[in-house]
Amino acid sequence: MSSIRRFLNNSDINRFRFYFQLFAFVLLVYGGYLAINIGEQLPTFACVFGEKRGGSCYLLGFQHQMTFPYARLFSGPGIGVLIGLATFAGFFIIFNKAWCGFACPLGTIQDWLTILRRKMGIYYSNYSEPVFKGLSTIKYILLALLILIPMAIGNSFFGLPTLNHDFGVPFCMICPGRTLLPLFNGDISQLTIDFSSKTKMVFSGLGMGVTGMFLAGAFAKKRFFCLFCPMSALHYIFSRASLLRLTKDGEKCTRCGNCYRVCDVGIRAIADDLDHKNIVKDDCMMCLKCVSACPEDDCLKATYLGIPLYESTAEGFFRRRLKKDD
Amino acid sequence: MIESERQARVKKSTSLHLAMEAAETLRQITEFPDNPESMAYFYDLYQSRFKDGMILPQNGKKLVGTMCLQVPDELIVAAGAVPVRLCSGAYAFDQAGGDFMPAKSCPLVRATMGMLQVNNDTMKDNLSTVVIPTTCDQKRSSAQMLRDMDYPVTVLEMPATKESDEARTYWQESVKQFALTIQKICGRKITAKSLNAAVRSKLEAGKLFRSLQQLRTESNPVILGKDIWLVSNSYFFDDPDQWCQAVRGLIAELESRKSENFSAINRKAPRLLFTGSPPIFPNLKLPILVEQAGGLVVADETCSSQRLLHDAVVFDEKNLYDMVPAIADRYLKPCTCPCLTPNTDRAKKILDLVKSSRVEGVVYQAFSGCMPYEMEQRAIGDMLSREGIPMLFVETDYSPEDQGQLSTRVEAFIESIKVRRRKTQ
Repeated sequence: MSSIRRFLNNSDINRFRFYFQLFAFVLLVYGGYLAINIGEQLPTFACVFGEKRGGSCYLLGFQHQMTFPYARLFSGPGIGVLIGLATFAGFFIIFNKAWCGFACPLGTIQDWLTILRRKMGIYYSNYSEPVFKGLSTIKYILLALLILIPMAIGNSFFGLPTLNHDFGVPFCMICPGRTLLPLFNGDISQLTIDFSSKTKMVFSGLGMGVTGMFLAGAFAKKRFFCLFCPMSALHYIFSRASLLRLTKDGEKCTRCGNCYRVCDVGIRAIADDLDHKNIVKDDCMMCLKCVSACPEDDCLKATYLGIPLYESTAEGFFRRRLKKDD
Repeated sequence: MIESERQARVKKSTSLHLAMEAAETLRQITEFPDNPESMAYFYDLYQSRFKDGMILPQNGKKLVGTMCLQVPDELIVAAGAVPVRLCSGAYAFDQAGGDFMPAKSCPLVRATMGMLQVNNDTMKDNLSTVVIPTTCDQKRSSAQMLRDMDYPVTVLEMPATKESDEARTYWQESVKQFALTIQKICGRKITAKSLNAAVRSKLEAGKLFRSLQQLRTESNPVILGKDIWLVSNSYFFDDPDQWCQAVRGLIAELESRKSENFSAINRKAPRLLFTGSPPIFPNLKLPILVEQAGGLVVADETCSSQRLLHDAVVFDEKNLYDMVPAIADRYLKPCTCPCLTPNTDRAKKILDLVKSSRVEGVVYQAFSGCMPYEMEQRAIGDMLSREGIPMLFVETDYSPEDQGQLSTRVEAFIESIKVRRRKTQ
């Protein structure tokens, strides 16, 4: 048992993650070819617009359900909404935020763009901590909007007229997953501006703009889009209940900042928070780079149902850092 | 003419005193029974370095002197030069420095300045530059004095705090500028490849040093603290590869001692932690006194040993734009120097070492004139007394005069720990 643990702790999580992401990408984008369907309420961007997907993103169905008038929402069909949310939560608590770091196809595309930039030797942009903090509120605003806009279709707010059905899935309309992921199935039809109505024109125009920003942003800044992701905001509500946890032992921490240094989303608490055991923040994607960069024994660890999966050790740290092909 | 003759005379007598001083310290160190055989490398190293004045390493490469461990020596190595930490522990140089330095200045700074003044004729030409980080007041002020002695000086601007984002950015920029300066001075461009090699070299040393630290905390003592200081001090000037080789040999010997259950000293020796102003050879006065009195230094929190090699550079991308800031982070974020404010990490580190090394008492050394360590003494002492760990605070300098008085205090302290232990058992 201890030799297995030692093997795991000495391993290189980055390499494992690269291949796992590739596997997850194929599964979620091409799974349909093998008639694979993992589920309809996945807590990750398995885009519904991709024909050959191996599972479906929860947000489309969720936004659709939010268009129900109150009378429907708070009666029989409301149970369906709750079941959907529970299924989503169920999927989520299995892997926690690792859905973002290991499975999300949009996250994977961003990581590929990062690799491309690194190979080209182009400097990445980075933000200071206050900027990160400011940006991370945007995702909650987007989450609120993707609930409130569909609600305004079925219900009148403050006596205002209801919105038309073109507002149905506002987030999907601007999500780069809708425009980009079908491309991998050879479908370029989403990469257009829809002129059939004013609303659709605005939304699909915004969608094209966001797609451009997604590509440019992720090239310049690691995991740029994740800072704004409303899915991530929805995740965070259930994060504490998850079976997979990232924990920190503040007593063992020397605040050397290695973990903060390698964090793609600039979470400073990972280095400076000495009080909290659960260290998963709303921007965290559980890529576990922090664990692999920590040179102190047992300081950071990823656990599943309390069983350590990957722990920081001095031995593993030096082994990874002094590897020949590094 | 008379001036230069005087200078030559001072140099000669200082060299003589230095050699005697080094020989005396080495005599005390080797007098202990059961010294590891692999320590011979280090004993010889000091013997040859101090026997004839102050010998700087010579291997045809440019030498860059550093006046603090805050200087990122990876950058110097990557630029093709050899970093030499100049911080001196020699009383002979301290006395020489006394000629022109204030009486109440820190003996470490005074000795370093004394060394550079006495050896002005040769060192000025041997050292491509002397790098001084803006850490404590006295080091900062010596920069100007060195310029007046015609030394080429590079000032490395360091913030007085490490908590804010602004401090981090400032330091990263400062280190970047230092990288540009040093490659200009050394006449060689720093590349991702050369920097990676330099980082790896120091990582390797850090890995070995951690193993050594681990071995010194064994409940069956296999090595004494005085030897650890010799090992870590020699990283100031030794060739890193040879150093690693020697440390590997030492570790192997200690491992076999461990498996044979061999003790280098009485197993019941009170386990102590040493912190405060840094002991640097030949001034290992206090650590040696502590171990002569029957204590065992199982851990230290000093910038001449533990802090030197514990932390590691981590970068995400093997490009200079990521590596240089990563190196900057390594030198600021984990730093526990009392010239930083706030400096809660130092107390935390001491407490962590006390717990992990099962320490029974702490020896706190402050050089008279070393204001930062003197001022932090109270906070550390209070923190330790809350944890029930006794602390001996010693204010001293490089002179051997207080040895008798100090050994009485040290013996009493160690005796009190033994008494405590009997009471609790």
